Amino acid sequence: MRYAPAILVGRCVRFAARLRKPGGGSAVPGLIVNRIAPGYLKRTLSGFPQGLVVVSGSSGKSTTTKMLVAILRAHGVDVFTNPSTANISQGLTSALLERADWRGRVPGDVAVLEMDEGHGALVMQGVDARVVTLLNVMVDQIDRFHDSDMVARMLARIAARAHESIVVNADDAYLERIAEQAGPDVAVHRFGVSDAVLQAAPRGLGYTETTRARLAADAGVRVEAVAGDTAVLGDRGASVEIRLPARGTHYAVDAAAAYATARAVLGERFSETTAADAVSAIPAVFGRGERVRVRGHDVEFVLVQNPASYQLNVDSIEPGTEQILFAMGSDVRDPSYFWPTDASALGRVAIVSGSKAHEAALMLAYDGVDIDRVEPDLARALDDFLAAPAPKSGVKTIVFTADAMRRTRAHLGLTGAE
Amino acid sequence: MTLTIVALLPGLQNTNGDAESAAVLARRAEWAGLDARVVAVDDRGGLPDRVDAIVLGSGSDSSLETSRAALLTMHDELRAWGTEGVPILAVGTGWELLSWGIERPDGSGIEGLGILPGRAVPSRGRVTGDLVIASPRFGTLVGFENHARDYVGAEGSPLGRVRAGRGNGRDSGQEGVVMGSVIGTHLHGPVLAKNPSFADQLLGLAATRAGLDYAPGARAAIVDGYAAAAREAQIGAARAAASVTDA
Ligand SMILES: [Zn+2]
Repeated sequence: MRYAPAILVGRCVRFAARLRKPGGGSAVPGLIVNRIAPGYLKRTLSGFPQGLVVVSGSSGKSTTTKMLVAILRAHGVDVFTNPSTANISQGLTSALLERADWRGRVPGDVAVLEMDEGHGALVMQGVDARVVTLLNVMVDQIDRFHDSDMVARMLARIAARAHESIVVNADDAYLERIAEQAGPDVAVHRFGVSDAVLQAAPRGLGYTETTRARLAADAGVRVEAVAGDTAVLGDRGASVEIRLPARGTHYAVDAAAAYATARAVLGERFSETTAADAVSAIPAVFGRGERVRVRGHDVEFVLVQNPASYQLNVDSIEPGTEQILFAMGSDVRDPSYFWPTDASALGRVAIVSGSKAHEAALMLAYDGVDIDRVEPDLARALDDFLAAPAPKSGVKTIVFTADAMRRTRAHLGLTGAE
Repeated sequence: MTLTIVALLPGLQNTNGDAESAAVLARRAEWAGLDARVVAVDDRGGLPDRVDAIVLGSGSDSSLETSRAALLTMHDELRAWGTEGVPILAVGTGWELLSWGIERPDGSGIEGLGILPGRAVPSRGRVTGDLVIASPRFGTLVGFENHARDYVGAEGSPLGRVRAGRGNGRDSGQEGVVMGSVIGTHLHGPVLAKNPSFADQLLGLAATRAGLDYAPGARAAIVDGYAAAAREAQIGAARAAASVTDA
């Protein structure tokens, strides 16, 4: 009962927020409940009967969380999870309120949360997690995360909240060092790639520091092979075939992370085939190599979230693709950390756009990419790009950062996925 | 004759993409019709016979000791190049390692290579943001700063005066340090791409030493147009942020 008044206030605010902005979830109710009942988030997160599972790391959080939730649900587990945008405490509280009864209780056996590496340590203060999964440490958003040391310190603080087990990427040297710090009662589970998979990745895996030795076949869940959008996971001698939501080794690694985490959460109840089927059924994600029919053209959308995904995605664009629109938005505060990447494979870009268009053009030009036009106005760039005749080779391809993606979707009226 | 641009310790010292400044120099040289190559050097054994310019970027604090040990193996060479007028651009912790030393918050320190005057001392908090400076030698320089230390002892020969941002800190109003052709700065990432006149002066120095003529190529004029627009946007943002702080 102790939270009932706060919950009531939170719900009224939510209702009011809805009236003003139909369909829009808002962080405001969470903000208010956090203010008048500061213990609510902590108690609720710690109150799920089968515990709390946290997924964090620089890259792949959303995909991994989605896969993990799918695997657990396929095993009949009732899962509470947060939308990827709600991973700071106000948003998280709001997400909990969406599902809460009048006393503030949230139904579900287990909570699976995607946690921003920056806010996670703060949100997790005093919260007890059963399992914490750490994906990788990469250079990202230097205005927020300064350097890899800082990211690793924040992830270590999240990992310290796990009382049963941590699941780490064995190919990431920073995470292996965090695993060494785990207490005697905390089990360490690992996932990683085989030597063959690493050899096949021309630019490596994108982690700040990759470990020297690969995970032994019997030491965890290992990506044995990746071909297009299919992969084989090695698990205790079994070969598990899965389909990925898009091409790319990093999706296979995300799948291995989700699989290993589900195994840690479910224990004896875990079924390889149920897990494989659940992962394989996940639809392609918008902005990650998905093709959409827009204004009479097939358009491929490529989302760039960090330098590693930028490099992987740029490399996977069909060589000779004639029409590329490249949009960098205000989510990239300063693009310095993108400069070590090599976009020369693009060859030519028709339009560079977004609020950071000139920064992006500068970077592409020094990579040897030819640029036909720089048009910071994204709406105009999209209209002109789509009005041009269909390319003779390849499909019209739009490469964008998260902010430019949101604006693109709004402008083109694309809804649905995500 | 090929201009050889050395990127020093690019594996450890490239957190903010600073090591890419070596590639920027090489590209601009190529656009000017000169031959140029970038050589990544991790230790003394990797040093080429001839060196025309050097870029040393910024790294994590956890790699300070490792980077210092690697740089120490090339101490004599670095000192000699510095005196001979080889342009050396050192950014962030790379600059700090070339200084007299780095002070840690707990009072312990790391001895630097002593190639640049001054030393790095803890600042009250991490500084990240746009940095705009007026340099008597290189004009208005624009970039992004990301550092947890101030820099003292550079008062005699700073790179420029701070117009927006923090720079060396401690109310000095200054940014960077210059000793002949050796330059230390907090300006990260594509500093030479975004400040083409800065790049061209360094290339000019390198070319003259090599007996070559350098004049920016036609391609540079187009690319420098992107730089001009990016600079304008950043200066505008920095000015807006500054006036908000002033108010
Ligand atoms: Zn590049």
